[in-house]
Amino acid sequence: MNDDNNTAPQDSAPQAGARASFDRHMLEALVCPRTQMRLEYDAEKQELISRSANLAYPIRDGIPVMLVDEARTLED
Amino acid sequence: MNEKTTHFGFQDIPESEKAGRVQGVFGSVANKYDVMNDAMSMGIHRIWKDAMMDWLAPRPGQRLLDVAGGTGDISFRFLKRAGHGHATVLDLTEPMLIEGRKRAEAAQMAGSLDWVVGDAMALPFEDNTFDVYTISFGIRNVTRPQEALNEAYRVLKPGGRLMVLEFSQIPNDMMQKVYDLYSFNIIPRLGKAIANDRDSYQYLVESIRKFPDQETFLGMVKQAGFEQAKYRNLTMGIACLHSGWKL
Repeated sequence: MNDDNNTAPQDSAPQAGARASFDRHMLEALVCPRTQMRLEYDAEKQELISRSANLAYPIRDGIPVMLVDEARTLED
Repeated sequence: MNEKTTHFGFQDIPESEKAGRVQGVFGSVANKYDVMNDAMSMGIHRIWKDAMMDWLAPRPGQRLLDVAGGTGDISFRFLKRAGHGHATVLDLTEPMLIEGRKRAEAAQMAGSLDWVVGDAMALPFEDNTFDVYTISFGIRNVTRPQEALNEAYRVLKPGGRLMVLEFSQIPNDMMQKVYDLYSFNIIPRLGKAIANDRDSYQYLVESIRKFPDQETFLGMVKQAGFEQAKYRNLTMGIACLHSGWKL
């Protein structure tokens, strides 16, 4: 209560959706659930790209959503 | 036309609909999930989860995959017992993970925890990755439980351990009747009163009765390739722990 600094980083976050950022270390552990091949991290779009499956898995609020049904199909 | 069906509680539904329906149930109850567990089981689920940890005996440095890990109950216990280690919490339902990440333990252990939305039947991990795989009150909700067990075997390292905590069947008919009275009459009402969601809790009790008994499930664990597969009943068989090793 008397130490506002503790909460400052959260309060200064631009919006709730950006509150938790994706931990890049997780990328080493994750593979595409369809092909079990490695993924690329697109920081701007907040997506994990599976070239082998032609799919982009969304990262929402720092949580990767590794479901084929929720993935975006890559163009071309 | 010929799509295979599966059970959703006592209803038969196409297999392709099950995951969405399960997401609906747990998305709906996510923010009341922990309170409801305490109310429905009169706190006993905590004893069962502790019994799971006693048998599992987490060791320092182990890497856990906690499937259907929802609000983090198992991962937090595991990390506390292990002293240090790493836990990946995977759940089909995003709101459950968001709820779990809000909990005080999640902040304290943030450096040792990952949160991933994923499907138990198609895990987003390489072969031979984890020391321990747990699924606590989750495998009952998976469309094809055998496929989840096969995936568990795949992602465990050689020497890795599987531990499943799930509702099971009481071997005594008399006790089963008493338990059915409680579960079919009281639990949906508690669900209505606490979470304002009778249907989700109706699903819960029906799905418990539909799940294979101890011996049948043991056969499935062995079928996936696990060795030294065993089970222990908890509270007369209301719940059960199944253990197996990838050797």
